[in-house]
Amino acid sequence: MAEDQIISISKFNKLKKSTSKKVTISAQNISVFYSGKMAIDNINMNINQNEVTALIGPSGCGKSTFIRCLNRMNDVIENCTIEGKIILNGTNIYNPEVDIVKLRTNIGMVFQKPNPFPKSIYDNIIYAPRLHGLVNKKSDSDELVEKSLIEAGLFNEVKDRLNDSGTSLSGGQQQRLCIARAIAVNPSVILMDEPCSSLDPIATAVIEQLIDSLKKKITIIIVTHNMQQAARVSEKTGFFHLGKLIEFSDTSTIFTNPKEKKTLGYITGRFG
Amino acid sequence: MSNIIKNDILIPISSKRAIKERLFKIFGLSAIIFSLSMLLILFTTIFSKGYSAFYQTRIKLDINFNEKLIDPIGTREIKTLTTADYSKLISQSLFKFLNIDKNHPKSSEIKSLISFNSFLILKDHVLSDPDIIGKTKKINLIASDDVDQMIKGNINLNISEENRKISDFQIEAINKLKSNGYILTVFNKTLFTKSDSREPESSGVLGAIIGSFYCLFVAVCISVPIGVSAAIFLQEFAKKNKITDFIEININNLAAVPSIVFGLLGLYVFINFFHLPRSSPIVGGLVLALMSLPTIVIVTRASLLAVPDTIRDGAVALGASKMQAIFNQVLPLATPGICTGVIIALARALGETAPLLMIGMIAFIPDTPIAITDPATALPAQIYMWADHPERAFVERTSAAILILLSFLIVMNAAAIYIRHKFEKNW
Repeated sequence: MAEDQIISISKFNKLKKSTSKKVTISAQNISVFYSGKMAIDNINMNINQNEVTALIGPSGCGKSTFIRCLNRMNDVIENCTIEGKIILNGTNIYNPEVDIVKLRTNIGMVFQKPNPFPKSIYDNIIYAPRLHGLVNKKSDSDELVEKSLIEAGLFNEVKDRLNDSGTSLSGGQQQRLCIARAIAVNPSVILMDEPCSSLDPIATAVIEQLIDSLKKKITIIIVTHNMQQAARVSEKTGFFHLGKLIEFSDTSTIFTNPKEKKTLGYITGRFG
Repeated sequence: MSNIIKNDILIPISSKRAIKERLFKIFGLSAIIFSLSMLLILFTTIFSKGYSAFYQTRIKLDINFNEKLIDPIGTREIKTLTTADYSKLISQSLFKFLNIDKNHPKSSEIKSLISFNSFLILKDHVLSDPDIIGKTKKINLIASDDVDQMIKGNINLNISEENRKISDFQIEAINKLKSNGYILTVFNKTLFTKSDSREPESSGVLGAIIGSFYCLFVAVCISVPIGVSAAIFLQEFAKKNKITDFIEININNLAAVPSIVFGLLGLYVFINFFHLPRSSPIVGGLVLALMSLPTIVIVTRASLLAVPDTIRDGAVALGASKMQAIFNQVLPLATPGICTGVIIALARALGETAPLLMIGMIAFIPDTPIAITDPATALPAQIYMWADHPERAFVERTSAAILILLSFLIVMNAAAIYIRHKFEKNW
């Protein structure tokens, strides 16, 4: 039964054949320790440009920790030490000379729980561009807000109430607002940490379509608990277990013909 | 089988726990009723004792601004006009109306019907308009506190004369004035436009209100910036270690320190060491600021803690620095909570008497303070002092001052509640 499901998913992904693409982010020997306790262990991973990379694995396996390394969100956490290198377009982002503001405008992030600021929809989107001085004139701001909302597929739903609070939207709309907010600063990569875990199936489908359309411009790395989602949206999938990257390859391979026993066990629901 | 279950459900739980629950509800309800009725009793007693202080008895007299008495030479020099014996004008007018010879043995009793300070009103009239000299004008003069109390019915006229504050002769005179419509009851403006006085009828709370206001102003200017920034640092930036734990414990302890200790601190540090003026609102404000600081720090930290971390993450992920995330996104969300806390801390400071005792703000100060370094008193201190006076008129003024203080406190607390409801955001 589980095998059947996998085959149907593989049919779905038939056309998503990965060819050799340009590597945007390269994680080299990344290990993370929280107060000396190892959270992830020696991860190596190359993430291709304009692809969706899914990270799956049971809770506490380190996939969120890993994704938070990619835009140095772990810097905020006390007693967190990171070893290894993350090369973004030829530069190690853990190089002390790296400007963390530029890094984070380049690598946006969307969180598990939609977290719009309790301000207007307009202010939610324009906050970061204003902060970084990307817009000066009111007309530029209006244009950027509209463009971001269109790209996030939210414009038609909210165009008449841009001054309403971002928190007045539904969960799925809030999450798309967060995506619009992230793409307003024109990032090349967006990290999504379980973006659909608090959404219903319809809102989830909308977000997945959005991911599909965004990847033409943006490289997306998505952490998900939902294996079907990983199969549906991603080109590459990495399976994490107990802080280790067990297997990382094309999504179709992971879901049809995994090399590791643990991967097979997880995707067929035998553990996790 | 199903029958048994059905029967089982039908057996009512008349057991102990149902009784316990009912008892608990009754207990809770009676606790609320008890506290509400105590509050009601408190308010009714204060109000019933204090409301009469909001109106005052005046005696309307035809005053003849006799030139011979005021300015016999006719030079209209300011010095002559200010030093003239205006009290004599009042007594002359009274004697004339009541048909009493000025050498009558009880003429001094008649003079004391009018408040001792009333000559100042006449002086003001003459100084502002010297042309009034030689003319006769109807002027409302403040009655003495004893007349006021008699008119308000607070003096028992049935007891013997020697046990009364007002003599039979005076009563006769008052009744004559009254029957001619010369006794008026008007709103007691004096209570709000004058400061403390030895004469109850010319005493007011203006100086105390201004003193309290200056104290609070100084307290806000000092405690809010320091308290809020300390809280932001402790909550958002400081690393959690033994030192910050120690600081946190001590802030909580400070919030519980009796306020008189802060008064002692103010006496030693601000007055004896820094030589700031004694009895001044600046010292009072500094002491109240120190007293409210721990509360403000605690409330601000709690408000910051209530802002979810996802907001911080969201801002940081967009490239905001930690400080930008806190000041742009977190602090606006915490502001309603901070405001509420600050207002409640200040409301407590407004009602505080003990620390003011130590720094000399509980003192008879008849002048209205102009600057924050002038000697001043505060509302609760004024209440405390008036409560000490034996005169009946001060009893009602004490209650009136309590009413004024309570209304300030109610306004402040209502503002706190309003801010909390109005600006509270949901996420």
